Amino acid sequence: MIKGFCCNYTLSVEPEALRSEGLIPEDVEIERLPCTGRLEVPEILDSFSEGAEAVFVVGCQLDKCHNLSGSRRASKRVGQARKILEELDMDPALVEMFYAGRGETEPVVEAARLMAARVSEQDQPG
Amino acid sequence: MKAGSNLENVLRSGAFAVTGELGPPKSGDLGLVRKKARILKGHVDAVNITDCQTAIVRMSSLTAGLAALAEGVEPVMQMTCRDRNRIGMQADILGAAALGIKNLLCLTGDHQKFGNHPQSKGVFDMDSIQLLQMVRGMRDDRAFQCGEEIKGNEPRLFLGCAANPFADPFEFRPVRLAKKVSAGADFVQTQIIYNVEKFARFMEMVRDLGVHEKCYILAGVTPPKSLGMARYMKKFVPGLDVTDDVLSRLSDASDQREEGINICVDIIKQVQDIPGVAGVHVMAIEWEEAVPEIVKRAGLSNRPDPKGIEPVLSSSQSIEKAVEDARKEIRIELEEELERAKTEAQASRELVIKEKEKIASEISDLKKQVEEARTMASRKEAEVQKLTAEIEMAKKELEAKQAAAPSAPVPEPQPPAAPPVPGPAGPLTGREQRVLESLNLGLEALKTVLGLDDTQFEALRRFLEAEFMLQFGQAPVPVTPSAPAPPAPGPAEPQPAGPVPEAAPAPPEAEALVEEPVKPEKPARNKEVVNLVAKGNLALHSGDYNGAIEAFEQALGIDPEDAKAKAGLAEAKAALEKAISAVQPSESEESEGLLPPCPEGVDETWWKEKWIIRYTARGNVAMMNGDYEKAVVEFEKALSLDPENGKAKDGLNRAKNKEGIRIPEAAGAPSVEEEKTPEPAAAPAEEEEEEKEEEAEAAPAEEKPAKPEKAAEEEKKEKPAPEPKAPKVEISAPAGEGVSDLSVTPLAKDEPPLSERAGDIPEDVYMESCSGMIQSVMLGDGENAFSVGGETALPFYNFEGDMPNPPRVAFEVLDSEPEEWPDVLTKYFSDCLSDPAEWARKCVEQYNAKSICLSLVSTDPNGADASPAEAAEVAERVVEAVDVPIILWGCGNAEKDTETLREVTGRIGDKKVCLGPLSDANYRTLGATAMAFQYPVVASTPIDVNLAKQLNILLENLGVHLDHILMDPSIGAVGYGLEYTYSVMERIRLAALTQQDDKLSCPFIVNLGREVWKAKETRLPSDGMLGDQERRGVLMEAITASALLLAGGELMVMRHPKAAALADALVEGML
Amino acid sequence: MIIAERKTLKELLGMIDGCSRVLILGCRGCVAVCSAGGDKEVAILASALKLGLTRRGKKIDIEQRTLVRQCDPEYIDPLNQDAADFDAVLSMACGVGVNFIADRCDKVNVLPALDTTFYGANLSSGEWKEMCAGCGACVLHLTGGLCPVARCAKSLSNGPCGGSQGGRCEIHPDVACIWQQIYDKLSGLNRSDEMKNIMPIRDWTSAGHGGPRRRIREDLLP
Repeated sequence: MIKGFCCNYTLSVEPEALRSEGLIPEDVEIERLPCTGRLEVPEILDSFSEGAEAVFVVGCQLDKCHNLSGSRRASKRVGQARKILEELDMDPALVEMFYAGRGETEPVVEAARLMAARVSEQDQPG
Repeated sequence: MKAGSNLENVLRSGAFAVTGELGPPKSGDLGLVRKKARILKGHVDAVNITDCQTAIVRMSSLTAGLAALAEGVEPVMQMTCRDRNRIGMQADILGAAALGIKNLLCLTGDHQKFGNHPQSKGVFDMDSIQLLQMVRGMRDDRAFQCGEEIKGNEPRLFLGCAANPFADPFEFRPVRLAKKVSAGADFVQTQIIYNVEKFARFMEMVRDLGVHEKCYILAGVTPPKSLGMARYMKKFVPGLDVTDDVLSRLSDASDQREEGINICVDIIKQVQDIPGVAGVHVMAIEWEEAVPEIVKRAGLSNRPDPKGIEPVLSSSQSIEKAVEDARKEIRIELEEELERAKTEAQASRELVIKEKEKIASEISDLKKQVEEARTMASRKEAEVQKLTAEIEMAKKELEAKQAAAPSAPVPEPQPPAAPPVPGPAGPLTGREQRVLESLNLGLEALKTVLGLDDTQFEALRRFLEAEFMLQFGQAPVPVTPSAPAPPAPGPAEPQPAGPVPEAAPAPPEAEALVEEPVKPEKPARNKEVVNLVAKGNLALHSGDYNGAIEAFEQALGIDPEDAKAKAGLAEAKAALEKAISAVQPSESEESEGLLPPCPEGVDETWWKEKWIIRYTARGNVAMMNGDYEKAVVEFEKALSLDPENGKAKDGLNRAKNKEGIRIPEAAGAPSVEEEKTPEPAAAPAEEEEEEKEEEAEAAPAEEKPAKPEKAAEEEKKEKPAPEPKAPKVEISAPAGEGVSDLSVTPLAKDEPPLSERAGDIPEDVYMESCSGMIQSVMLGDGENAFSVGGETALPFYNFEGDMPNPPRVAFEVLDSEPEEWPDVLTKYFSDCLSDPAEWARKCVEQYNAKSICLSLVSTDPNGADASPAEAAEVAERVVEAVDVPIILWGCGNAEKDTETLREVTGRIGDKKVCLGPLSDANYRTLGATAMAFQYPVVASTPIDVNLAKQLNILLENLGVHLDHILMDPSIGAVGYGLEYTYSVMERIRLAALTQQDDKLSCPFIVNLGREVWKAKETRLPSDGMLGDQERRGVLMEAITASALLLAGGELMVMRHPKAAALADALVEGML
Repeated sequence: MIIAERKTLKELLGMIDGCSRVLILGCRGCVAVCSAGGDKEVAILASALKLGLTRRGKKIDIEQRTLVRQCDPEYIDPLNQDAADFDAVLSMACGVGVNFIADRCDKVNVLPALDTTFYGANLSSGEWKEMCAGCGACVLHLTGGLCPVARCAKSLSNGPCGGSQGGRCEIHPDVACIWQQIYDKLSGLNRSDEMKNIMPIRDWTSAGHGGPRRRIREDLLP
């Protein structure tokens, strides 16, 4: 399972719609947040504990955040989460921050696919 | 005396003291200490024994100091505050003094971080100044640090400290030294001095404080062992100022060690002169051997006899033992040394032998190589000679060919655009004169080049003049029997419309003509006369009687006695008279609208039909030009031949009602050949052409010289069509089939305004103004820059809003020779296809291009895969060659285009070009590049409204303004999805104009040329069903363009000059 | 304030190995201000440990709680009842809190989640710097308010050593030479002459070398 957190302003479609369109892989679960600035490190970590193989966050472009600094905060928290993954001998690349313009679905889809690819890549050698 | 040490004695005596330095080993090997001590013994007054220098664990300074003392060398024991607290330090001080150590250098110590135990706890119970205070208290006050009295022997120690004149803050350094002196320092040793000048300044401040009178100052020096060491010290040892002078002295030296010693000696000599310097402290780190030499060269080898060096522990026995040990040690050492020397000598002997062998083999190798090179050189030379001979031969052949066939410099057969020659022969027109002049100039050049003598040259020149006259002045002279029936008019024959300008004679004829005039002339007759007579005869034969008469008269003016000229003149005059009388009736015939006599061998019915069509066409042309009277006359003529002809009737009606042409040929039709060989097979095609014949008027027909028919002479006496109202674009086309004239007659513009035509219908019924506006995008810079877009209404809906900028055509130029273009396209650029810059220039200068779209097709990774640098080079040349706005269109591979276009922009810099295509895959990189240079860009998406909008949004998010974006909606040519293109473009435009969708408000760039010309229909050859290949292609391109202009296209990228001219004419006519 | 830093997750996972119920106990004092042991950090540590345990195939009940202060009996003492059934209390307070819990709660197995690093100031968000060593014998009046004990690598008392170059300490280019700063500060105050005075050897008793320190104010005693 891959967990995605998206800001309400970047993803304007229901995540379910993306999946039913076949745009995102089946095992990608996307949660829409009012703003990615609301996302805290524990939520990211707990996603992994609850079975996510990778986590991605899609927020507004850094300079165009609807709430000014929301996506900047999110990116810092993603950074913190990555450090913790490293401490736990996990690949920090399993959590990543992405940016999308308002109402752009494509970067979300891209992020989902990228993370899915990353996960399957890591699964192979093991 | 504070301690009575040797050092104290020397300093007190006023002698210049010398101290050395000894680093204890990182082991328990006392022998090493002894060895070093022996090296220094006698050359210095005392030796510093370092205390775990740079925080690296070594034998303690107390132990090593005692060993040195046992060797008869006075130690200066160093003590740092890093490793012991006051308890440990005082304990060691007591012990040291007890065992005969008389000098103590008090230091804070290097931080443990620098040593081999960086994890250790740095004690630093006190600092060096507090240490001095403490030891002085023990010595002078006989008290421990805590104040407790030392009962019994107090430590008698001569106290030293360190000073760094080069550390910061510089001004505080003398103060700090003063503090140390007042804390108890009796002498001071400075940090290593290389910057003597700075040290001198330090000393000046020290003297100002009077410190030099309270303590002895020893200047620290170190011979740099190598350049590397000097550099290391400069870079990594804090507070060590190694001057550039020292570095350069070392780097220039052949023997760095030797130079190091010299540097050290020089510094010693310099510091000796500085007042207040009482001695030097020579620190030859791990290079104790250098010290005796340095001391000697510095003139300090005469050390005072040592006093007060008394090892406490050594009994006489132990001394003997020590001496014995030392002897043994030395013997062993000597033996080892001898053995080593022997081995080394042997080794070096072997090395020399090996080296010799190696060199010998190398030399033989080199010899071999030289030999090979020589052979190769001689082979190359032979090749060169061969090639030179070939070139020579080729040259000769070429010369021979040129001499034999000098038709090369003959001007190309003139395109039909050449003005029709006035009826009867007359003097040369100005233009002809100029052509002749330039011909002569060319010939002169040729003469020089070919090395012709005057006679040969004259012959050649006259031949060419004759040729010229033949082509431009007259109908062709039948020369070879194989040529078809000559059109030469016999005096009795009716002369229908005067001489018809004829196309060039076929090449075989031209060559046949060559031979005659090349024959050498008889020198007796005046060349000019001969020339003129020949000219006259030619004119006469070709029916240009006036020309003939003039030529003969000119000849007679030069030589009135020339018989041939006289005879020719008479003949010409007679012929002229006959001709005039013959012409009369035919003219009256035509003016009455009668059918001219049918030429021999031509089907009568066909001939009649032909004239009906012709008259109808003339009527249409006249009507279009607004000459309704003439139109009526022409239509009546047609009807007199065929009273039932519908077209003529219709035309007549409209002409009478002054309605104009029913079907205004929107995009215009390319002109066609009017004259066709009257073969039955060609007849059906004639029908199609009927409507288009009006244009044929403006384009004199071109005749296939292979089949001249009598019919070909017909017609053409017509005065040229009345001048169009708008200036006509005069563009000449290279000779060829299909499109014979690139000019386009402008559309009639005398339509009354809509409001008038609408009559009483209120405006709001048919008008619907738009709330949106299309962005105006500026292309290019300089005087040829233009904007596209800016409309506030649907395309050409001028009654509803503004269309401030006319849509434009950009000519497509490829960066490499096109491989799949049909001939009907390439022939217009055949002279410049391989040179994109020249190509672009031709488009601008000859085909009136307002913009150039340079397609960087060669960069396609699936094709030639040219490097970005190559493409950039081409782009740069094109940009330099023309001054019109340029669109740089990549190969369509997002990655490669990013590379290529970045490279290009890097080269052309500020020159404004438009970059494209930007797709969702590379808009970030290219968008950023474009923004940096303020270039407009082409946003290219698959044909879809939403995709187009999304890319615009992405670009805008990136920071590209909408007024820097041209939308490329991806288009299909007619027959290849034109309808869908139209529909999508229309929806985009409607959204922008009526639904306030400003993200779609960018102008369109329509890259249609490539779409049209890749359609198979443009490649199929001419045939009965599909008609002429070129016209087909031109029309496909023109129709696609016109449809997409109506859909909102603002910048049309096109290929064929005619199609472009048609599109321009459409725009011109509709605005 | 007291600056602290979380120990590595590996170290912490090692500490709680074998436990089945663990309380992560934050402190809203200094460590919350320096973002080492407040509510947020407690939540992050809880999630991180959970994840670490999950990956090791283990499961421990982790509870989170944050006290107003861990250096006051008022807040600590209730742990005697509340925390007795936890196998371990992972304190995210400074060492004071850990000690205090250990002192007062016999039944509580208290473990330190942080390394208490120094007394420092918050230079900017995310950056803290040592300013005081708590040596118990301030000489700041002699040094322009800048502490050579805490801020000189060798705790020198009488001016910069020979390793001071361009205002930097020889131990690291990032470290300023405090004696250069003292010199500049005193020069600016026209007090540079004071640096000529020799500062006597220090008494380190008050710096902890005299044993654990204690302070009593009679007037405040109950």
